[in-house]
Amino acid sequence: MATSDSSLVKSQPKSSVSFLYDERVRNFFYQTLTAGTFAWLVWYLFTNTAHNLEVRGMNSGFGFLFQTAGFDTDFKLIEYTVGTGTYGRIFFVGVLNTLFVSVFAIVASTVIGFFMGVMRLSTNWLISRLALTYVEILRNVPLLIQIIFWYLGVFALLPKVKQSADFLGIAFLNNRGLYVPSAVPGDLFWMTMTAFVIAVVAAFMIRRWARRRQEQTGQQFPSFWAGLGVIVALPGVVYLATGMPLSWDIAALEGFNYQGGFALPPAFLALLVSLTIYHSAHMAEAVRAGILSVSKGQTEAANALGLRPGRVMRLVIIPQAMLAIVPPMISTWMNVVKNSSLAVAIGYSDVVALFMQTSLNQSGYAIEIVAITMLFYMTISLTISFFMNIYNKRVQLRER
Amino acid sequence: MADVVLAEGYRPPPTVQGTWFAWLRDNLFSTWINTLLTFGALYIVYFAVSGVWAWGITNAVWEAENRRVCFDILAERAQEQGVDELTGACWAGVISWFDSFIVGRYPRGEMWRINLGGLLLVVWMVPIWLPGVRDKIYVGFSTVFLYPFLGFYLFAGGEKGLFLQVMMSLAIVVLIGNTLNGYHGVRTGRSLPAVVIAGLGMKASSDKKQRNTLLAIFAAAFALAFWAQMDWALVSVEWNLWGGLFLTLVISGIGIAFALPGGIVLAMGRRSQLPVIRILCTGFIEVFRSVPLITILFMATTMFPLFLPEGFTLNKLVQVIVAVCLFNACYMAEVVRAGLQAIPRGQYEAAMAMGLGYWKMMGLIIMPQALKFMIPNIVGNFIGLLKDTTLVSIIGLFDILNMLKAVSQDVPWRGLHKEPLVVGAALFFIICFAMSKYSRHLEETLGGGTQR
Repeated sequence: MATSDSSLVKSQPKSSVSFLYDERVRNFFYQTLTAGTFAWLVWYLFTNTAHNLEVRGMNSGFGFLFQTAGFDTDFKLIEYTVGTGTYGRIFFVGVLNTLFVSVFAIVASTVIGFFMGVMRLSTNWLISRLALTYVEILRNVPLLIQIIFWYLGVFALLPKVKQSADFLGIAFLNNRGLYVPSAVPGDLFWMTMTAFVIAVVAAFMIRRWARRRQEQTGQQFPSFWAGLGVIVALPGVVYLATGMPLSWDIAALEGFNYQGGFALPPAFLALLVSLTIYHSAHMAEAVRAGILSVSKGQTEAANALGLRPGRVMRLVIIPQAMLAIVPPMISTWMNVVKNSSLAVAIGYSDVVALFMQTSLNQSGYAIEIVAITMLFYMTISLTISFFMNIYNKRVQLRER
Repeated sequence: MADVVLAEGYRPPPTVQGTWFAWLRDNLFSTWINTLLTFGALYIVYFAVSGVWAWGITNAVWEAENRRVCFDILAERAQEQGVDELTGACWAGVISWFDSFIVGRYPRGEMWRINLGGLLLVVWMVPIWLPGVRDKIYVGFSTVFLYPFLGFYLFAGGEKGLFLQVMMSLAIVVLIGNTLNGYHGVRTGRSLPAVVIAGLGMKASSDKKQRNTLLAIFAAAFALAFWAQMDWALVSVEWNLWGGLFLTLVISGIGIAFALPGGIVLAMGRRSQLPVIRILCTGFIEVFRSVPLITILFMATTMFPLFLPEGFTLNKLVQVIVAVCLFNACYMAEVVRAGLQAIPRGQYEAAMAMGLGYWKMMGLIIMPQALKFMIPNIVGNFIGLLKDTTLVSIIGLFDILNMLKAVSQDVPWRGLHKEPLVVGAALFFIICFAMSKYSRHLEETLGGGTQR
């Protein structure tokens, strides 16, 4: 907030003004009026609600979270059994499902979006027109229509179980979903994981060391390949040394359905695909605008220094463009999380479908459930904007 | 041209420049990688276009009683052409349902009311785009504040109270005046009052006399309109019969009309220096912006009934409209705030140096600039609002999306999913794309003042 619109008005000489025209008196009056109206509104709604709840014989309070929920869900990442699982458990199942689809959609849409954004700026007329068509079509059709189209028009029309599409004998796609192998870690697998974490940290350190050395001496070091080598080699060696303690559970056709593996229902696939491509179009626009925001002089200066086109892009344009790309990119990520709530239209068990729809209909605790769900989304938004503010501050400091 | 000195070794510019051949070479085949990319892209285009063309045009079935017949026709054609299978769209189902996409379950005998309402809206707004018309701002205001009453009665019908009758009569008078004003504006560049005064030969009279005459004419027209509309009676059409694209446009239209003023108020509140107002506005905006629209719609349908005093119920349509309005006002508030932040401090100071108070400063100096600056974002928000309106189908209103989905539940067309959705997507694409193109055009025509 750079300037406040009324701060300027206020800075008048406080000489002999009449009581009615005194700025401080007026400010006090307006604020009291607003606060009073707001308090009255809250009180009014509260009494109405209390009265209505009483008349309808509805309960209130958060105790229902510990009551057992009498319905099942087709997709869950944590244990949940009908009959013993509580509404609180259902909430966490939904939250995890929301985050699960969001994370995949965010990663995929960012990658595709970057790709499309760069294509949009290609000097090749046909390529840039192709990317433009992609972006314009996807941005101008409502996401909900796209989700339903992918669900009813594509993933529900896949072959039946018997005629599943078979990917190398490890993954199977049919109208009940995509069956992928699930990893079953053995006893010593934690060592591989630890090695992986250590390797990532080591790669990071190598990068820092290489950059510092280059700044001091000008000597270059292939930190990317070295880091990659460490990340692949260290866990690989540990994995082999501990006797390959990881097995894969591959789905197999038994009777009328596939058993084992990890089943991703068609609703999940439809939601993932539509969220990804819809937001990739928005991401592409952000990337394009970001790259265009870097002035042409930067490219020319880099060219004048003798850098090759690839390096101009990587060392000069992209780092500057990122400043303009990151804020809209993060708001697109936030939109992915929010828009994943449209899952309710195709029956993917996200937090809105499980908690706000089914649980609300079953238990009737409208206010509590709406409040909890909104709080969940608000927590995510606030967390993301918190990190974004930190990033913005860092970037601003570096800029000047 | 004798003064032009040509350097030694001067050669004329290559003539090939500027021809289609040079264009092809520069834009498609500049390097071997580009050539490769071009052929790759050409293949993708060919693949996509030929696939869509075959499905949607050449193989498509346009006339059939039901989906079975569509399949039979396709199988017959496949046999004729000697191929195993042909996939083609069954547009017959879409054609037989098309009216429902547009108006939903609205009684077919009353459909003229929707058409008339749409036509009146167009007639009402056309002067805004015509050159030479005076007082366009009033055309805009009257569209937002008066047309809804006329439209409401046309669409809903039934009993009309005194208030509605007054507003309707006013709307009719303004509509006629508006049209005449537009007509005279285009022909002579003068406004309607000026034409009337000139016609009565009162140009020499005092301002007061002129104003009183105009007011008298207005009052007479109002009385006439009031008398004329008294015995109009339209059959009542309950809100739950409203549907299709019509309902989508009603909800988003009201949302758009409310979002801008609501957003302006919230944005000003958020930038206010008074802490109470600022905190309330900021909290309101942030809460609504951080949750998905669908949760707000659920909140509206489940919690609004609990908030209201006993015995007072809102129908679902009103609940949804209230939710959509609040939601969009918050998004618009952020757009307006961004516009306000882009206004240099000097503008505020200049306005105050002229002796303007807060409201005049905001209304005459700051807001016009901020809004003009943010036109692309404002229109972008409107497009988002129109697209988001499809969410009302989730809570059970029969908007266009629910009608598109209903086709596959209809017995003759059971399972016909793709075709209606493609048509719906195309409808939305046309509307939204046109809006965004228009906003770009507006930006260019209105942005002239900022480029020196």
